Amino acid sequence: MNMFNRPRRRPRHRISDENLEGLRLSDLGPGERGRVLEIGGSESFRVRLMEMGLTLEEIVEVDKYAPLQDPMELIVRRYHLSLRRKDAQKIVVERA
Amino acid sequence: MTTIAKAVTLGVAGNPNCGKTTIFNALTGARQHVGNWPGVTVERKEGRFKTDGLEFLAIDLPGTYSLAAYSVEEKIARNYLIEDEPGIVINVIDASNLERNLFLTTQLIELGQPMVIALNMMDMADEKGMEIDTETLGTLLGAPVVPLVGRTGEGIDLLKQKIARVIQDESEKARRIQIQYPRDIEAEIITLSQLINRDLDDAGRARWFAIKLLEQDADAEGFINDLQGSAPILEQAEDSIQRIERLFSDTSKAVIAHARYGFIQGAFRECVNTGDRVDTDYSRNIDKIVTNRWLGIPIFAAMMWLMFKLTYDLGSFPMDWIDSGVAGLMNLLSGIMPESMFASLVVDGAIGGVGAIAVFLPNIFILFFVIAFLEDSGYMARVAFIMDRVMHNIGLHGKAFIPMVMGFGCNVPAIMGTRILESRRDRLVTVLLNPFMSCSARLPVYVLVAGAFFPQNAPTVIFSMYVLGVLTAIASGKLFSKTILSGLSKPFVLELPPYQRPTIRSLLIHTWERGSLFIRKMGTVILVGSIIVWALGYFPRQVELDHDYDSERSKLADESRMAITTIQDRFEESVDLARAAYVSTMLPFEESKAYTSLVQQRDSLQWGIEQSIVKEIGLLDHQQAAETSSKKLIGQVGRVFEPLVAPLGFSWRESVALITGFVAKEIVVSTYGVLFGVGNEADESNQGLISSLRSSGMTPLVALGFLVFTLLYTPCLATVAAIRRETGGWGYTLFSIAYSFSLAWLLAFGIYRVGGWLNWLS
Repeated sequence: MNMFNRPRRRPRHRISDENLEGLRLSDLGPGERGRVLEIGGSESFRVRLMEMGLTLEEIVEVDKYAPLQDPMELIVRRYHLSLRRKDAQKIVVERA
Repeated sequence: MTTIAKAVTLGVAGNPNCGKTTIFNALTGARQHVGNWPGVTVERKEGRFKTDGLEFLAIDLPGTYSLAAYSVEEKIARNYLIEDEPGIVINVIDASNLERNLFLTTQLIELGQPMVIALNMMDMADEKGMEIDTETLGTLLGAPVVPLVGRTGEGIDLLKQKIARVIQDESEKARRIQIQYPRDIEAEIITLSQLINRDLDDAGRARWFAIKLLEQDADAEGFINDLQGSAPILEQAEDSIQRIERLFSDTSKAVIAHARYGFIQGAFRECVNTGDRVDTDYSRNIDKIVTNRWLGIPIFAAMMWLMFKLTYDLGSFPMDWIDSGVAGLMNLLSGIMPESMFASLVVDGAIGGVGAIAVFLPNIFILFFVIAFLEDSGYMARVAFIMDRVMHNIGLHGKAFIPMVMGFGCNVPAIMGTRILESRRDRLVTVLLNPFMSCSARLPVYVLVAGAFFPQNAPTVIFSMYVLGVLTAIASGKLFSKTILSGLSKPFVLELPPYQRPTIRSLLIHTWERGSLFIRKMGTVILVGSIIVWALGYFPRQVELDHDYDSERSKLADESRMAITTIQDRFEESVDLARAAYVSTMLPFEESKAYTSLVQQRDSLQWGIEQSIVKEIGLLDHQQAAETSSKKLIGQVGRVFEPLVAPLGFSWRESVALITGFVAKEIVVSTYGVLFGVGNEADESNQGLISSLRSSGMTPLVALGFLVFTLLYTPCLATVAAIRRETGGWGYTLFSIAYSFSLAWLLAFGIYRVGGWLNWLS
């Protein structure tokens, strides 16, 4: 196989989780709304969230936390979506 | 018969929870075939239907949010759409959740296949106060949009008409559109697709590949790589991606996903008048109670309890009918057929063995019905929401709680129930842990052994078995997640769909689909297994017994006959004596008090003799049965495996009981019945069996080890078959067998050794 034909994986323009700054989605309480500014985490996680409609600039509302305080329930694009806090921590938001 | 043109293939695609299966069922009716997609354990449903003189072969694709090929389901849906090229695609959309559902639609539009959009759940959109202009939506999406309500079947006929029209009417092709991306992305797409089109000569495909290359899709890269002029294409793709990423400061995949939602938002604004009245979100109102911080868990516990109650209590009625039906059939057949090996094979082997499992059918069907209800109503997603915290601890998804709890009933439907989990890794872990949930078939064994050896503390001992099972599952779950099945876990991104009233029709279809799998298995694996155990107990035909039981029996009979005669003689002598002493009154002697008491005395003596003789002959029968079975193949096998379990303090009897317990764990009890000659009708409360066990030389310590062993060792045949089916191969099945057996052995060994050393329970 001709290796030169393979696209080389270049370093991604990606934000590593440690560099994320600011308020996280997991910091919002029930009933609070936030505008998505950045999404960290693995590429597949980011794309999965975007596929589910949680794109940048989108406003999400925290509906509630589960009885055991994890995961959390969000309202995105008029439907209900649940994420674990650990994952919601990778989403930077500003209050909206 | 007229010649029928080849059926048009029709792929039904859509998001999970969009009512895709309801539409599929409404289109095809009962003419369905359920199987698996090649190589994976994802259900594949096919059905046929006719409309306007065209015949269609409909395929229900797995529900997916996207075609990005991250999950097995996405890969299947995507490969089918691209490689099998269906004649037409039906995209089912939940009208009440339009934006998110349209994401998949944008990907389907780009595939460029003829498509009809089934805008489902219009009633719920109405309730939400949404007004949708379906004509305009159809124009924007480049495909006819049919509003319908799958639950009631409203609009299905129109959908069929549209499908036929799209196939027959060439002008429909002209409607197709391209999704327009922001100018900077569009420029890259055009450059790239022109390059690809030189090789491909198919503008639509070229555009699709261009977009996929920009999304850094591995499959598309692989395909392009095989083209003649792949090098410049891939170089161009590389440049384009870098330009896009520089421009938008994000990965190209994210940029494109974002752009798709841009298109969707535009379409949404143009066609939809949102009501956005929050108070009409009835589902949210239900969830204010059902997933409430304080009420959520009690309600969930009550639901689980109800599920258990229904499954096992309601199931026990038909269970008794099946039980007596099987017994009746066995009696009938053994009456008709002359005694022969074949008769025994059919009656004792096949019918007896399969019948023993068939009694679980009602449980299994009720359980599947309840699960279907939980899934169709939308509560299953809430189960995952409520229990995720707990299940996440052992590396599982919240939904895995259901099959785990159901394992307490029977591992077979529970393992088949792991299909509710979306990721293969989660399914595998749940399947492997499930046998440690102590199923109801193990309970009779606990009751018997604990009752015999721990009469004071039986409930505690039994309960601790359940606890041990759960602890083993937790520990194993952590172990598996860190070792053989690590790192494959997907992030938890769970939709909580609106609650819905399930239709009986779809509940029945779901129940039957899963239940019929179990029936098919009874006809194969379980049948073969039962025949093997039958053969072990049947051969060799003639065994040399140490005692001549027949002569002992006739000796006993003779003795009793003599004793009875003696009593009669004595009675007659006494009567004569008494008659002589009878100084007459008005009555004849035969009616006197003295005579009556003599008769009573005689009768009670004779009855006593008869009773004791029945008992002794019964005992002889049991001894004979016990000795016979110990000399049949099954006893020989038991002795062969005795050394393996001897370090645990087990005798050849335990060895046999455990081997037969492989067919079904409750058989351990009836095997003991046979081995101790108490008859194979013995159940766990049989006093004879309990006392025989106590006097067999087993100590309470060994009994405890035996209980632990029974809990943990190799799951029963039916469970093994279910594991093989759900894991899709022998690899994990053999692992499960080996893992559980070694775990059982080590723990029982530990109990026996440590307990013996501490001089505990001896």
